[in-house]
Amino acid sequence: MTAPVVFADRITKRFAGHTAVRGLSLTVPGGGLYGLLGPNGAGKTTTIRMLLNIITPDEGRVVLFGSEGTGRDLSERIGYLPEERGLYPKMKVLDQLAFLGEAKGLSRWDARKRAKSWLERLGLGEWTLRKVSDLSKGMQQKVQFAGALQHEPELLILDEPFSGLDPVNSQVMRDVVVDVARSGRTVLFSTHIMEHAEKMCDGVVIIARGEKVVDGPLAQIKHEFGKSHVALTFSRNQAAAKRVLADRNLVAHADDAGASAEIELAVGAEPDALLRALVQADVGLSRFEVVEPSLQSIFIAKVGDAAQPAMRQEA
Amino acid sequence: MNKILAVIRREFIERVRTKSFLLGTFLLPLMIGLFGYLPQLLIRRDVSTRGLIVINAAEGTAAERVVEALRASRIGEGDLARPRYTVILLPAEGRAEVLRDSIVRTIGLREGPPGAPDGLLILTEASVTEGKVTYLGSNVTSIRDMSAMERLLGPMLREERLRRVNADSAVLRAAELKLNLDATKVSEGKLTGQSAEAAFWLAYIVNLVMYITLLLYGMQVMTAVVEEKSNRIVEVLISSMTPFQLLLGKVIGVGAVGLVQLAIWGATGFYLTTMLGSRTSGMESLAVDGTAQSLTIPQVSVELVLVILLFFLLGFFLYSALYAAIGSMCTTTQEAQQANTPVTMMIAVGMISMFGLINEPSGTMARVLTFIPFFTPIVMPVRYAISPMGTLEVLLAALDVVLGLLAVTWLAGRIYRVGILSYGKKPSLKELWGWVRTR
Repeated sequence: MTAPVVFADRITKRFAGHTAVRGLSLTVPGGGLYGLLGPNGAGKTTTIRMLLNIITPDEGRVVLFGSEGTGRDLSERIGYLPEERGLYPKMKVLDQLAFLGEAKGLSRWDARKRAKSWLERLGLGEWTLRKVSDLSKGMQQKVQFAGALQHEPELLILDEPFSGLDPVNSQVMRDVVVDVARSGRTVLFSTHIMEHAEKMCDGVVIIARGEKVVDGPLAQIKHEFGKSHVALTFSRNQAAAKRVLADRNLVAHADDAGASAEIELAVGAEPDALLRALVQADVGLSRFEVVEPSLQSIFIAKVGDAAQPAMRQEA
Repeated sequence: MNKILAVIRREFIERVRTKSFLLGTFLLPLMIGLFGYLPQLLIRRDVSTRGLIVINAAEGTAAERVVEALRASRIGEGDLARPRYTVILLPAEGRAEVLRDSIVRTIGLREGPPGAPDGLLILTEASVTEGKVTYLGSNVTSIRDMSAMERLLGPMLREERLRRVNADSAVLRAAELKLNLDATKVSEGKLTGQSAEAAFWLAYIVNLVMYITLLLYGMQVMTAVVEEKSNRIVEVLISSMTPFQLLLGKVIGVGAVGLVQLAIWGATGFYLTTMLGSRTSGMESLAVDGTAQSLTIPQVSVELVLVILLFFLLGFFLYSALYAAIGSMCTTTQEAQQANTPVTMMIAVGMISMFGLINEPSGTMARVLTFIPFFTPIVMPVRYAISPMGTLEVLLAALDVVLGLLAVTWLAGRIYRVGILSYGKKPSLKELWGWVRTR
């Protein structure tokens, strides 16, 4: 078996006053999309920075591509989009990208050529000779995205890549990322938008308060979570529905969104029993489906209620 | 290595392309030149030929001598030379005052076309015996005109006076000698051939150049660091290169811009001084005190240039490292501008110390300051300009700065590395120490 692309062994990082990441181990196999999930302040950015050797772990070690070098030594094989985006505002778009390419070890000529073709691909062909500050925020994000991709890295690390983008641009970027993963390269990205992770990722790691909560291939995580989940939608009488869902003999946990809910059945409870109870309560049931647990419900179950307010805020 | 080069090139090209660089580089010398040249243009008016009427009420040959001297006086040199005065000599024949009044009334002595009479000179016996000469004219406020005339009349009248007491020509020649204190700098038992005045100006200019350049380019490094940090571009960069590589590239890039700017200023300055120098020597007879002094262009030895360059580079690296560390601690340029005061003060102390150094270039203060690395870069070139010291002492001082530089760079590098990723409030001293100790 080939070495994992990213392997972190019990890495820990302390800052004055608190521990940002504690004994985190991580294995990202080659190829495909891998999500790094966690509520705000969970240590996602710190973890990513340690993987890239932007900051050094206090304990533990990081191995990339099974090789000796640090993330910085191997930076030619890695593309990185940080959470806080930034470009030199007064530089011309093309010069800017060429410089980023050079920083990744491309020759000047090659960097310019690639920069041009990426700008064309992302629909910024007319803007190559304009100053970065003339571009809209969305366009600047695209430029930076191109900067992370133009040297065709084997490993692409993206920190919250889809935040702050409109739906159209977000879709453009997701398509590009999926393309990269399909071509056999590896994409590791952090997000707190569960739908993106659920749709795109082959594997995920969920971290909270600096520690790993769960990781592995998505299908396996869902399988191991293994509880029977039911997705519900009702058209009336929500109060009655709430009472049914509050019955701890039937329902272990409910993710209640008013007119719809995803619930986890209590141990030993049958879906039939829940269905009967709901029909009796006359809630106008329009959907009753036994489903795999969604990433969202796994996330909430694993991370706990502490993360909920933060997530609602940003999702 | 290629990455450092990329950073250097970006830093250099983006800076050289800015309007402020172009303005600063080309407009500044132009303005200095203009300010130097403008007064020269303005006094041009005074350099036209003046018409002079001389009323002679003195006995003997005094008036002839004076008129001869006035007629021989020239404006400018070579082909461009014009007579300074056209002179009409009128014998007074006992009615000097009547003549004077009628001339003032009829001609008016107003400024007219070149050569038209606009000045009246009255020579009497008192002119020879007491040196008293009366002049009437519209241009009496022009110090240059007046001193030019004094310069011409003085020796002629003195000569006449001496002749009357039958002094022989040897005495006449002896009496012409003027006092000329020729102070020449002696260093290491050798005559340097450099005048005291030139040495002072040289030290002064060297001091100013070191001060301004260290401050200017140090600040530029600081601003570049803060901007990179507030743009948030720094994180992408240090995922591909070490903070030290980035810092080094940045410092060298800014330094290269500085050297180019200095070279352009230097070349323009040299050109302007030589050009103006030749022009003023053409007008040298205009100078107030009448000696052949134009601009004191200090002699610059190759050794001094080398010492300046060596200590500029060392000082620039030392202070850039400090400024970069300050920049990395701050989130906005305004914040950085307040935080840099301690560093700026150190440069200022170096500059101010020059006034003590000039009095005693090898005194205790000079020696102590020389071996404090923060002051060496300014103190050394100034001391060297005043009185060159041996190669060993220069190298020791350089070594001293290098050691200081290593310590400061190590410290600044460690602060920079953490600082560029830290946002929010400025760190306390205790937190800073924590940054230094972070792995």
